[in-house]
Parts: sequence; structure tokens; C-alpha cells
Amino acid sequence: MVKTKIWVFLILAILVIAAAASALVLTRPAAGRVARIYVDGELVREVDLDRVAAQERYTVRTDRGENVILLEPGRIRVESADCPDQICVKAGWLADSAAPIVCLPHRLVIELGGETELDAEAG
Amino acid sequence: MDLKRLARDGVFTAVAVVIFVIELQIPELLPIPGVKLGLANTVTLAALFLLGPADAGAILACRILLGGVLGGNLMAVVYSAAGGAAAYLTALFLRGHVTERQIWVVSVFSALAHSLGQMAAAVAVTATPSLVLYLPAMLAASVVTGLLTGFAAQFAVARLGKIRRR
Amino acid sequence: MRRALPAVCLVLALALSSCAPQKRTASFFAMDTFMELTVYGEESVLDDTRALIERLEGELSVTDPDSEIRALNQNGTAELGEDARSLLERALEICALTGGALDITVYPVVRAWGFTVGEYRVPEPEEIAALLEKVDYTRISDLTLPEGFMVDLGAVAKGRASDEAVRIWGEAGVKSGLMSLGGSVYAMGTKPDGSRWRVGIRDPFSDGLLAAVEVEDRAVVTSGGYERYFEENGERYHHIIDPKTGYPARSGLASVTVIGGEGTLCDGLSTAFYVMGLERALELWRSARLEVEAVFVTEDGEITVTEGLEGSFEPLGDYKNAEIKVVGRG
Repeated sequence: MVKTKIWVFLILAILVIAAAASALVLTRPAAGRVARIYVDGELVREVDLDRVAAQERYTVRTDRGENVILLEPGRIRVESADCPDQICVKAGWLADSAAPIVCLPHRLVIELGGETELDAEAG
Repeated sequence: MDLKRLARDGVFTAVAVVIFVIELQIPELLPIPGVKLGLANTVTLAALFLLGPADAGAILACRILLGGVLGGNLMAVVYSAAGGAAAYLTALFLRGHVTERQIWVVSVFSALAHSLGQMAAAVAVTATPSLVLYLPAMLAASVVTGLLTGFAAQFAVARLGKIRRR
Repeated sequence: MRRALPAVCLVLALALSSCAPQKRTASFFAMDTFMELTVYGEESVLDDTRALIERLEGELSVTDPDSEIRALNQNGTAELGEDARSLLERALEICALTGGALDITVYPVVRAWGFTVGEYRVPEPEEIAALLEKVDYTRISDLTLPEGFMVDLGAVAKGRASDEAVRIWGEAGVKSGLMSLGGSVYAMGTKPDGSRWRVGIRDPFSDGLLAAVEVEDRAVVTSGGYERYFEENGERYHHIIDPKTGYPARSGLASVTVIGGEGTLCDGLSTAFYVMGLERALELWRSARLEVEAVFVTEDGEITVTEGLEGSFEPLGDYKNAEIKVVGRG
């Protein structure tokens, strides 16, 4: 049997390392300002946040549910959703962080990255 | 089939599901996907130490399925199943290496394993590798929640010890 | 070595940036829409392009009291500069080519619907019938309008602006550039790395994208009723007026995208194809041997593309698994 003291030390070490790592990682800046919205890992829309001229709402509807995404110049968030945990809504604005907004129940992810995949949009 | 065992496991499952459903009503503490108290793990741990691996596994599986149905979120079943399985296997492995006064240690490590399993499932389901950015935060939270549920399980095992001896 | 790495990167970056032309972008409002320019070249190119577009707007606008087109509409004849005259001639050719599906004289009707100033209303049938008397591009001769006639070059102005912009870019030595003039796109050359430009086509039924096309030296212009419309008594009225009926075109199409080397032609054809509908548009495309490619989306969400787009057309999002019909010239 391992001494309790050793367990305490080990667990404390894990806690300190994980907390430090999360502080580092969650404040890491994104590679760019292009917001990509994925459902099931498939890209449904990408928006260059620096090119958003006016507030815009974009609703992602799947058979699992609905997320209303709000776009403003320079930032993006989930405004409302009918998912059970509401974590995507509480995550708030995404403007320059590499940590994505996630709605696990709806398998929706909003992530910032560099360079748009599309160079222009017609229509 | 041993009726007594069936009834006993049923009670454990019922308690686990009730705790799980009550926990659904508690708002999330952190806006980080996958972080929650995981109080229902108390039952799994207690069952593992009191009743053995087979019963604990069955109780866990039933709780996850019933919890998914009652919570109205079948996607959650995938994440909890991955996390639950990882946590269960970790607890099973550590069980032989601790005393009954160190159940909280098992709890912390199975909470960490739960986070890893859940994260693996989430990355696979959403095909988003960048989700792992949340992993350190989930692990840090797991240490805390693992301690809480671990001590709860430890007290439960101490009090319920007579069930096993009878 | 590890410490030297950033320095090496910096030197490399500087070396590369000094020989490759720099990416420069500009965006501004003109011609009632949002314009975005990207060129790999000198900053002065962007300034010149903006000045060019503003000049064209000043000459071609139907609302600007000082414009040449406004003078033409008021007096039936006017001193037209080179820009207005050559565009008017080219526009009339496209009107003839499309058998009047594009008709630049439809302006009085469009104005009655309120689309020019945004004060929408549904005109009475008698009013439309009376105004249709003043709609017939064939009656323009020697750049002179019959009494009561008016022209609007709006359906081709952005296309012409892109052609002119590409011309001055070429003169300035630009090899690579992209512009989006309110959704009328022109991709000049290739990207600096040699790959083709990827241009998205809007989904007429949502805010998302329908598809991407990879192009080089091509205009990509989409027309659709979804772009501008109003609703009255539960009925939706969009801004593309059929010159034959005086009412918003109902051809069964939700949007048409035309891709070709001449922006002016693509701009005019996208409107004309939208008015004509899928069958007639394809018929014209085949019989006139038009050197453009097109993407048609029907109201039922069915997608038809012309054969020249095979290999460069990639459906996106909800349309990834949609059935795409490819038609040939045969």
C-alpha cells in the first residue's frame, strides 16, 4: 500500500500542473480572426470577423437542435440555444482566443483560425 | 438469479440515477464543456468497494443509459459512456493498491480518467482536435470534484460496510 | 542554434517580403454596396481603383443629378463620355443577345416598384401596363431615347467596374488580385502561390454557402431574388423585374451564378438567365455558344451546373451530398 502522504503529493502536483497549463492554454491567442462554425466536424460557415460590418444573427438548425449565433464586428458568440447544458451560451464572446466555443449536445463548434478557405463570396 | 443481489443492485442504481438527475438541475459551475460535479460516481465507487467489479459495472451502465433517457440528451450517453468506462477501469486497477481509508485517491484518478475518456469521445464525435485546449481545465476541475465525490464514497463505504458483512 | 532561429525566420521573412508583391486591401461603399479589393502590388493601385469606381458611379448613376445617364434619361439625349457610351452600347448588345430578358429600359417599372430608393410598393396593374409601353430597348437608336423612356445600367455597372479595374491592374503590373463589388466577384490571375482563387456562392435559401468554385481570370456574378425584396400581404416581391410582365420574375429559379472572363457580360447574363428560367437560359447558352459557365439553383433546391465547371465546382455545407446535374453544350 502506498503511503497517503505520497498520494497527497502526487494529486497536488497534478492539480498545480493542470491549473497552470489551463491558464496558459485558455489564454492562448487564436491563429487568426476567421471564425469557423462546424457541425459534426463539417464546416458550415466561415466568417472573417474583421469583415463583419454589422450585427448579424445566424441560426444553425440540425435534427439535434438549434443554436442562434450572433456576429458582431470582431467577435462571435452563441446567443441562445435549446441544448440542455447552455454551456455554449455561457461561454460568451469569442474574439481572439484559440479555445473554441463548444455545444457538445448539438455537436457544434465555433473556432477561430487564420486565412479564409474562400477568397470571396458571390451573391 | 440471486434475488437479494438483484434488489440490492437495483437500489444502488436507483440512488445513482436520482443523484444524477438532481445534479442535472444544478447549473454548470464553469462554462467549460464536460465539467460537472459527477456526484453519481460516488455510487459507482461505493459499489465497487462494497459489491465488487461486476455489480459496480452493471450499476454504472444502467445509470448512464437511464440518465441519458431521463436527461433527454442521448448525445450525453456517448460522452458519459466513454468517460464512465475509463473511470471504471481506472478504479478497478487502483482498487488493489489502496486501503479503505484511501478511496478518495481512487476517486481522484478515476475522475481524471473520466475527463480523458470524455474528451477523447468529444474530439472523435465533433472531429475538433482543438477541444483538447480545455483538457487541463477539465483535469484541474476533476481533481477537485474527484476529492469531493471520493470522500463521500469513503464515508458511504464506512457506514454501509455492514451490508457486505451480513 | 535555438536562439538563432527567430533571427533566421525574421531575415527570411524580410527577404521574401521584399521580392514578392505585398498584399493590400481596401474596402469602401460605392454604387450602393460594399466593395472589397485585394491586390498584390502597390498601394497606389487601390487608390486608383477606388477613384475609377467612384468616377463610373458618378457617370452611370440613375439617381445622381450630375450623372450622364441621368441627363440622358431627362433629355432623351446627352453628351456621353467614353465610359457611359461604350457601356450603353455593350449593354444593348447583351439585351439583344438575351432577346430582351435583360432590358436596360425597364427602369420606369423598377422605379414604380420603389426598388431604386427603397420605398417599396406594389403598383396597380394599369400603372404597370402603362409603364411597359416605355420598355423596349430596341427603340433606342443613336444613343437617343424616345419620349418617356429611361435606361438604367445598374445590371451591368458593377460588372463593367470590375472589367475596368482589372484593366488598370494589368497596366500597373498586378498579376494577382481579387475584388468583390457587392457580391460581384472578379478574380484576376491566380493567388501568389499559383493556386486558383476559391470563390464561394451564396446559398439562396440561407445565410450560408452553396458551393465554392475555383477560378482564374474570371468574373463570378450571382443574381437572385433573395438579395433584395419586400413583403406585402404575405406576398414576397423581389427586385429582379421581368421586362415582359413588369412583375418580379417568376421563372422557378432561386439564383443564377455566371462565371466568365468579361464581368460586364456575366453581370448582364446573370440577371437575364434569372428572368429566363433554367430551360430557356440553357437553350440560349447552347445556341449562342456563350463563353461562360453557370450554376443554376431552382426554387426546389436543385442544382444544375454547366460542364465547364466540372472539377472546379465543389458543393459546401448542406449541399455536400446533394445531387448536382451537369449539362453539356451537346
